[in-house]
Amino acid sequence: MKSKSSRFLVWAFGLFVAQGIFSNAVVLPKWQKEFAPKGDIFAGSGLSPDQMLFALGGFREMVAGILWVRADSFFDDGNYDAMLPLIRLCTILDPKQLDIFSVGMWHIAYNFTDEGNRSDRRYVPYAIALGKEAQRNNPDTYEPFFETGWLWFNKVDDDYDQAVKNFEEAEKREDMLAARKNLLSVAYQRTGQIDKSLDHWYSQWDLQDKNWRDTGDMIPKQQRDTAENNLDTLIVRMAQRGYFAQKRGEGIQNYDLYPPFDVGFAAKAAVVGPGILKVDCNWNILPAGTRIRCILRDADYPTAKFADQDWDRETGVKLDPPKDMTWMQEAIYIKNRHGMRKIDMTRDQTMYPFTKDKYVLEFYWNPRSAAGFMQDKLGFLGEGMTDKNYLNLQARQGQRVIYTSFTLTRDQILRLGEWASKVPTVQTPNYVDPNETLKEKDDVILVPSLRNDKKG
Amino acid sequence: MKQIIAIAGTTIGEAIRRKVLLVILLVGLVFLIVAPSLGALSARSETTILRATMLGIIQLTSAVIAIVLTVYMIPNEIERRTIYTILSKPVQRWQFLLGKYLGAVGALALMMLFMTIVMIAVFTGMQNGDFGRAVTLAQATMMFFVQMSLLAAVAVCFSTFVTPLVNFFLSGGIYLAGSLFAPMFDSLSKQQNTSQFSKTVTWAMTTFLPNFSYYNVQNPLINPSSTIQNPMSHYLFATGYGLMYISLLLFIGHYMFDHREV
Amino acid sequence: MAAAIETQKLTKSYKSKQLGIVNVVDNLDLYVEEGEIFGFLGPNGAGKTTTIKMLLGIIYPTSGEGYVLGKEIGDMDVHKIISYLPERPYYYEHMTGTELLRFYDSLFGNNDPAKVQRLLERVNLAADATKTISQYSKGMQQRVGLAQSLLNDPKLLFLDEPTGGLDPIAHTEIRDLILNFREEGRTVFISSHELSEVERICDRVAIIHRGVIRRQGKLTELLKGGRVEVEAEGITKEFEDSIKIEGAIISLKDGRLIVDMPEEADVNSLLDGIRSSKGSVTSVIPRRKRLEDLFVETVRDSSRVSMAEGGVEA
Repeated sequence: MKSKSSRFLVWAFGLFVAQGIFSNAVVLPKWQKEFAPKGDIFAGSGLSPDQMLFALGGFREMVAGILWVRADSFFDDGNYDAMLPLIRLCTILDPKQLDIFSVGMWHIAYNFTDEGNRSDRRYVPYAIALGKEAQRNNPDTYEPFFETGWLWFNKVDDDYDQAVKNFEEAEKREDMLAARKNLLSVAYQRTGQIDKSLDHWYSQWDLQDKNWRDTGDMIPKQQRDTAENNLDTLIVRMAQRGYFAQKRGEGIQNYDLYPPFDVGFAAKAAVVGPGILKVDCNWNILPAGTRIRCILRDADYPTAKFADQDWDRETGVKLDPPKDMTWMQEAIYIKNRHGMRKIDMTRDQTMYPFTKDKYVLEFYWNPRSAAGFMQDKLGFLGEGMTDKNYLNLQARQGQRVIYTSFTLTRDQILRLGEWASKVPTVQTPNYVDPNETLKEKDDVILVPSLRNDKKG
Repeated sequence: MKQIIAIAGTTIGEAIRRKVLLVILLVGLVFLIVAPSLGALSARSETTILRATMLGIIQLTSAVIAIVLTVYMIPNEIERRTIYTILSKPVQRWQFLLGKYLGAVGALALMMLFMTIVMIAVFTGMQNGDFGRAVTLAQATMMFFVQMSLLAAVAVCFSTFVTPLVNFFLSGGIYLAGSLFAPMFDSLSKQQNTSQFSKTVTWAMTTFLPNFSYYNVQNPLINPSSTIQNPMSHYLFATGYGLMYISLLLFIGHYMFDHREV
Repeated sequence: MAAAIETQKLTKSYKSKQLGIVNVVDNLDLYVEEGEIFGFLGPNGAGKTTTIKMLLGIIYPTSGEGYVLGKEIGDMDVHKIISYLPERPYYYEHMTGTELLRFYDSLFGNNDPAKVQRLLERVNLAADATKTISQYSKGMQQRVGLAQSLLNDPKLLFLDEPTGGLDPIAHTEIRDLILNFREEGRTVFISSHELSEVERICDRVAIIHRGVIRRQGKLTELLKGGRVEVEAEGITKEFEDSIKIEGAIISLKDGRLIVDMPEEADVNSLLDGIRSSKGSVTSVIPRRKRLEDLFVETVRDSSRVSMAEGGVEA
């Protein structure tokens, strides 16, 4: 019996060692490379131990799926706060479910809004971080790059270089949808890289034309026609500005943008009630369609700079934005050379906690985010624009933008102490109340006449 | 060999008539059939969630079946004294054990095949006849089958020396731990600030325990946007690993069974 | 005659928390000849089934040796020519009688449907061969059990309480089958505590109690030692005094004589004496020893012995 036992031990030990070696040397590396779950469940996923066990018991995808369905129902109910942790969990459990990442990014960036539909931009760096995480986990597919690019393009709506970078990455992926490539052309345009934009439209046209001829399908044909329309428009716009003539070295430079036009920016802000700001802007371009960015933020808001912050600063995704910080961002719509907005921050105290003593009120305008007709008048980089008071060349590298700022105190914003009965008001020295000069009614849009005998 | 096949055949016949297993299977099938409505709740990733849910249901149901099927197998034979008539015939204990194990695996195969067919049918119906896409999901159920065969071997091994109730939790625990430690090791080994001790412990657990996570290959099938270089080689290696570990477990099980009074 | 079963000091001990080491079977020396029906008797828990399991190699002896059909116990070759019917057996209920027998047949590496059919007929189950075991009565289950034990045409059958829990008709059927086995030259080892059954069919018996063989031998020899009671009338005191029979109990009252004497004593000379002394014999009643008496006697004696030895009362 004894020799049988020792023989058994030898065999068992041999088999045991063999499986260990085979497992670690052959199976594990491939598994780690391709199949190991990429989401870090262990580091602060917020999973409860039973969820963790279940998830790790091999059922992560199912758990993610069920949680996602739950999250979706919250979404339909508008219960965004409840949805957020579920989204985070789903992305950790199944880091390959791109839809969850995409929806999650979009949700975080867009859906948390105040009464006036202003979104809570304290979340945006985390939305971008989620995008970066999606990219790390899914490096072979275009979607996380495209979606992150979209956030830069549409939500941040300022730093188009980042949008270009992400769209270019998306386009390197084989599975990139042909129709989605159009956005890169537009992003090039907004960064002022006109040649690249044109080249890209041309390549899009070629691609879709070939697809149409190869397949006979009407969708590529429509895509080709879209590319053609956009291409035509851009060529016309650039030709009108003298861009091509300039490239050929013919005629005067930037003839349609010359001499630079003074936009005559002026602003005034009054705290008309506790936490209620009435903002007025003057802008010397008719008729309508300009939006002036107005930001009220903590004076010491992290990474804040010139009506902007470092949106790219976060590397990890956090569910809770900095709850003790305030960042209000609004776009003041200009009509008939004037824009006014009453901003009520009293109903969303979690978004506007006003815990600091000092605040900065900023006004900003850049040509890149502006409408096409504005860009045609002032150039992609603001080369056709000036302002004798508020033209700023430092705020954005290589761009001419409008920028001014004021400081306000907490007491002023909340009308506390000595400000309880006084209306704190800040304004640029050149601000003139529009009612003094413009008597037009609000619902009439003044269209400048092209005839010489009328003043525009 | 004839003895082993005969015992395996009988075990399959008995297993597919066991009410408790049929109830578990039925619950799994009901979930598979209603799964599309769960997927439909999510407007955005309907098919992704459907794939994830269906594979999850099959995996979970199979795991429960694998454990419930095997923990009672040997103790029942002893309790009902059927083992005596068998062992008094020219049947060695290892032949008996192997026959019972293969029978359990055979019964599992039948039940899992049935669930897979239902999954493909439901998915094909959902996807407007995308039969090919549905069939690729069967890759995952094939791997689950190897996984469950390994789990069954764990439970059979334990059933030779512990009571069914203890075995139920022990095998379930090993399944969880065997699924958990490899991702944990993978996760910890990528972090610099983890202590060497935790890394060593998780490495040891990954190496010594049967590694069930090798068979959780469903992720790329659920999210087809991610591509795997030559998944077939992983399937083969993981199956090879499973066979090695199953041999080890049956070997230990045989030793314990051989030394045990029945 | 060759030995079908032979054991020398076969012992099985278990460790018990309360009792320490317990010898369930203690230095068992058993001898069963080929071709006989051997009754292995003992009360419940005496060690009968343990002994059978050791002889079949299902459990391992702690010490001692045992041989079955000339081979050491546990030898697989022997399993081809022996068979076992456990006490109150359970068979896979989902199978039909035919399927069950074919399954057991395949354990011998055989596949002989004709043989299976023959055996079902032999145990009177041909008509119920397509019913599942779950539909069988106890008697039918026992008969299908016997059929499975005959699949390999065994030289030696171990039957553990073969008639336990059966109705009288089933009893008779099983008994007749077992008696047939002897005619076919098989050795049958029956473990039982149903003594009347055993007494009717066994050639030799062993009585085991608390793991120890207390009696072993031919039934005829073990049951020797019966008594004869002679009753006569018209007997004188002189005649009573003249009776010289060893071991006899004699009583005389009002001329009526009762002599209770050992079976082997000379009954004829006593009867002759009575007749010659003008007495008349009213009855001669032989009182044979029955297995039940032997069993009770043996078990009682061994209990007394073990009590005296400081043994533990079960």
